[in-house]
Order: sequence, then structure tokens, then C-alpha cells
Amino acid sequence: MKNIIKHEFKRNFRSFVLWTSIISGLSIMMLLLFPAFENSMGDLLETLEGYPAGFLEAFGLGEGGLDMGNIYGWYGVEGYLFVLLIGGSYAAVLGSSILSKEEDEKTIEFLLTKPVSRTKIIFGKIFVIILNLFLLNLVMSIVLIISFVLFGEFDFLVWALFSFAPLLHQFFFASIAFFISVFITKSRTVMSVSLGLVIGLYVVEIISKLTDSAEFLKYITPYEYVNAVDIVKNNNIQGIYLLISFAVISISFALAWVFYNKKDITT
Amino acid sequence: MIKIKNLTKFYGTNSRGVLDLSLEVKEGEIFGFIGPNGAGKSTTVRTLLNLIYPTRGGAEIDGMDCVKDSNKIKKIVGYIPSEIHFYNEMSVKKFLDYSFGFHQKIDHEYIEDLIKTFDLDTSKKIGSLSLGNKKKLAIIQALGHRPKLLILDEPTSGLDPLMQHTFFEVLLQEKKRGTTIFFSSHVLSEVQKVCDRVGIIKDGSLVRIESVKNIISNQSKKIKIKTTKKITKTEAMIDFKMNNNQYTFLYKDSLNHLIKLLSSYDIEDLIIEEPSLEEIFMDYYESKEKT
Repeated sequence: MKNIIKHEFKRNFRSFVLWTSIISGLSIMMLLLFPAFENSMGDLLETLEGYPAGFLEAFGLGEGGLDMGNIYGWYGVEGYLFVLLIGGSYAAVLGSSILSKEEDEKTIEFLLTKPVSRTKIIFGKIFVIILNLFLLNLVMSIVLIISFVLFGEFDFLVWALFSFAPLLHQFFFASIAFFISVFITKSRTVMSVSLGLVIGLYVVEIISKLTDSAEFLKYITPYEYVNAVDIVKNNNIQGIYLLISFAVISISFALAWVFYNKKDITT
Repeated sequence: MIKIKNLTKFYGTNSRGVLDLSLEVKEGEIFGFIGPNGAGKSTTVRTLLNLIYPTRGGAEIDGMDCVKDSNKIKKIVGYIPSEIHFYNEMSVKKFLDYSFGFHQKIDHEYIEDLIKTFDLDTSKKIGSLSLGNKKKLAIIQALGHRPKLLILDEPTSGLDPLMQHTFFEVLLQEKKRGTTIFFSSHVLSEVQKVCDRVGIIKDGSLVRIESVKNIISNQSKKIKIKTTKKITKTEAMIDFKMNNNQYTFLYKDSLNHLIKLLSSYDIEDLIIEEPSLEEIFMDYYESKEKT
């Protein structure tokens, strides 16, 4: 399995560097804007008061929501969403391609005729997904610790949650994409479907905030599971959301493994 | 070495794979697996390698079950596919490291020898290799771990005649070492050169198994005659063709009869030769279809 992990990690390294630079770069940019806005925050908040409540709620600025006047609230509104959206997209792309690429490019015929079981192939690839996403969030945790120390009072729990809660969100998309890629072997098609899911579930998140009648939808969108208000205000991720995420992630990976072991490779 | 027992594979409901195929390949022999495209050759090979699962029946390699013991089987098997799909962005050297990284014991000197024999530049990216060079790489990755069984699926496509010759030399060398070779092909003449026995598959079923020697010695001769007088076709003449004064046919009867028959003719030229396997099997297929 070491051989596969090493190979896959190298194969995906360039894309890892690219996505990590984009995500951390964008966050740094947004965080650096904070001092400039901090002084004129009053005007900004006044302007915001004119917006409808549902709209503000969608951005975590509703009643009992985030305070953009401090760095945590600022990041929760201005940076965190990008991390979720772009990080989710990276996870979806990685999860979609890492397995399907072998069949799409027909290299699976080579791999499966070597003494390595399908189980090891699946677990090697899942390991590389987990490793890459973990490293991405590790880089983000460094960016955040520096920014939070520079621009505010350092709060360990909020920092830790902002750094590693996105992992849950990314595993969610990566695992579903990985599962789909067992059945749809055209990398591009799997990617489109899973990226659609990343955007689609964000729309679901907004809808669930806009009207009370759609509130139940929050249970199906991982954007809600790791929402910034819970992190900054309550310093936690709700238990029910943790449970749902773990269930979706482990079931997706497990089913991918079961079905992959049984499938015919007919490239 | 290989025991295929009542192997049946259907793809979906309509698409045919193989039907109730049974066949044994002895240790140390080169076995030709011959049939037209779509006959089920690749399906059989893919089942042996556990890329696909049998619908019914199964196969054993060296006493191990192709499904349950697939991992152990792959330690002793080398496979050369018909179309080469390797990681284009990798260099030849890195690819070989990756490929042999799955094996525990590797004879690096032997691999170096193979690279020299096939004259392959290991610093190049796989994507930039010509078809012939990719094939060479496929041969090296299949032979480097010194497999007990080689499975070849149309291995010579894309090789120039000179490389084909080298390739057959390597196969014969492997045979000397005791390697069993399962050689799937639709080109009969190439199989004839190296194989001990041949199995013919058609429409998913095995039609016949025969030793190459037997097929050639027991069968008809190929006759080419140039004469001015018209030859009347007899029952012993198959695949009878006439072009100006040139006649070609396969002759199934005793040659003495033919010579007697031809003694009344004014013959300008006469060639008697062994027919190729293609011609023998055409003959075989034709007579099968008539009955």
C-alpha cells in the first residue's frame, strides 16, 4: 500500500499546492482587509441594517449572529465561506478523480495486474485524500493562528474549529464524489456532478436560512454542519451534525470499497 | 499451469463473452489462444487476471483460484496487454520503480539486461514514447519479476518486424527457463512460430485444441501450379483459385494422387508448401460450417 500512497501523493501534489495556495491566499487577502474596515465598521453595519433579515441570516449576520467588528466575526463572514466553497470544490475534484482517473485513462489494467488487492488500492487512495485535505487545513491553521494573534485576542477553541471544521465539510464532498466515481468512470462527468453538489448544497443552505418553512433543509447541507455562527458564538459543532457527517463519510467510503471489489473492469 | 473450467461470462443480458469454456495449459508450454476479434479472447484473459468476475465456472492458475487467490497469482504472472495505457506523465525509470515496487524480490540486473536488450531510454516520459517503445516497456514490466506464467494479449501489435523477431527470441528464452506462456492472438502465423499447442475460440466457445506440429503434418498441402491446360477441380482441392494460368489450392489427398493427376499436364512451375495456420483454420471453419 505504501507504493500506491507514495505514487498517488506525488501524482496529486501539484494540484494540492495550487488549491492550497488559492485557498490560503484568498483567506490572507480577506484577513488583511480587516484592519482597514475595523475603523469604519460603524458605517458598514449601518448600511447592513437596511437589508432584509433573511438575507443577513444567510450570511451569519442575523440576530445573535456574527459581529464583524472583531476578527473572528470578520473571518466568519468574509473568509470562511471561501474556504468552504473552494475547499469543498477541491475535495470534490480530488475525490472524483483519484479513482476514476485510473479507469478513464485505462491505467487500471496495469495496476490491477500487479500483486496489489483492490482493497489496498481503495484504502491507499482514501488515505491520500485524507492526507491532502488534512495538510490543506494544517496550512490554513497556520494562516489563521498568525492572523488571529495579530488582529485580535487569541481564542484557542475558535481557532481550532475554524482550522479543522472545514475538514468535515471537505470529507463530506470527497467521500460522496469517491463513491460516485466507482460507478461513473469518466473523470469529467464525476467532477461535474460533485462540483454541482458543492454549489447545490450551498444554495440549499441559503434557502434553509431564508424561510422558516425550509429550515429542515439545514440537515442535508454540510455548510450548516460547520457554520461560522456555531463556531464563534457557541464554540462547537452540534452533535447531530457531527453524527450525520460521520455517517455520510463512512458509509460513502465503505460502499465505494464494497462495490469496487465486486465490479468488472471493462475499460 | 492454467485450468479453465466451464467458464461462462456474460456482459449484461445481450452482450456475449465466453460460454462454457474449458481448457488446460501445461506447465512450460507456449499455448496459442486464437480466434477472430470479438471471439472472447480478451474476456478469458481478463477473467484469468480477475479484472472481471466469471458469471459461472472459473479458472485456476498454478493451483490457485483466479478470484480468491488473485493477489498471490499476480505475484507469479506477467501480463502484456494489447493496448498500452501507462502513466504518461511518468518517466520510464519512475514507472518501472513503481511497477516493480509491488513485488518483493526483484532481480535488478535482469531488468537492466532487459532494458539493454530492448534498447529503451529510461529517462524519457512515457507520453513521449512511440507505440513500439511503449510496447517494449510493457514487455519489460511484465518480465522483470521473472514470472512463472506470461499472459500475452495481442502482444506484437505495433512492433516492427525486427522488434517482433527480438520479442519471439525473448519468448523462446523464457520458455527455456520454464516459463509457461499463454499467447492470445488473432494472427495465426505469429503463433505458429513459437507455440506448442493452439486452442481456437469462436463466438465464445472453444472449437478445437491441437498441437501445432499435428495441425501442420496431418493437414493438406498448399499447391501452386502454372500450366497452360485447364485443371478441373476435384473434391480433394479446397480453396481453389485460378488466375490466368496460375492455380492455387489446398490439397487434402495423398500427394501421389496429385502427381499422377498432374502427369498429363504441361507444367511450367509447381510449388508444394505447408499451408499457414490461417489457411488450415479457414479450411477447418469452412468444413465445419458445411456440416
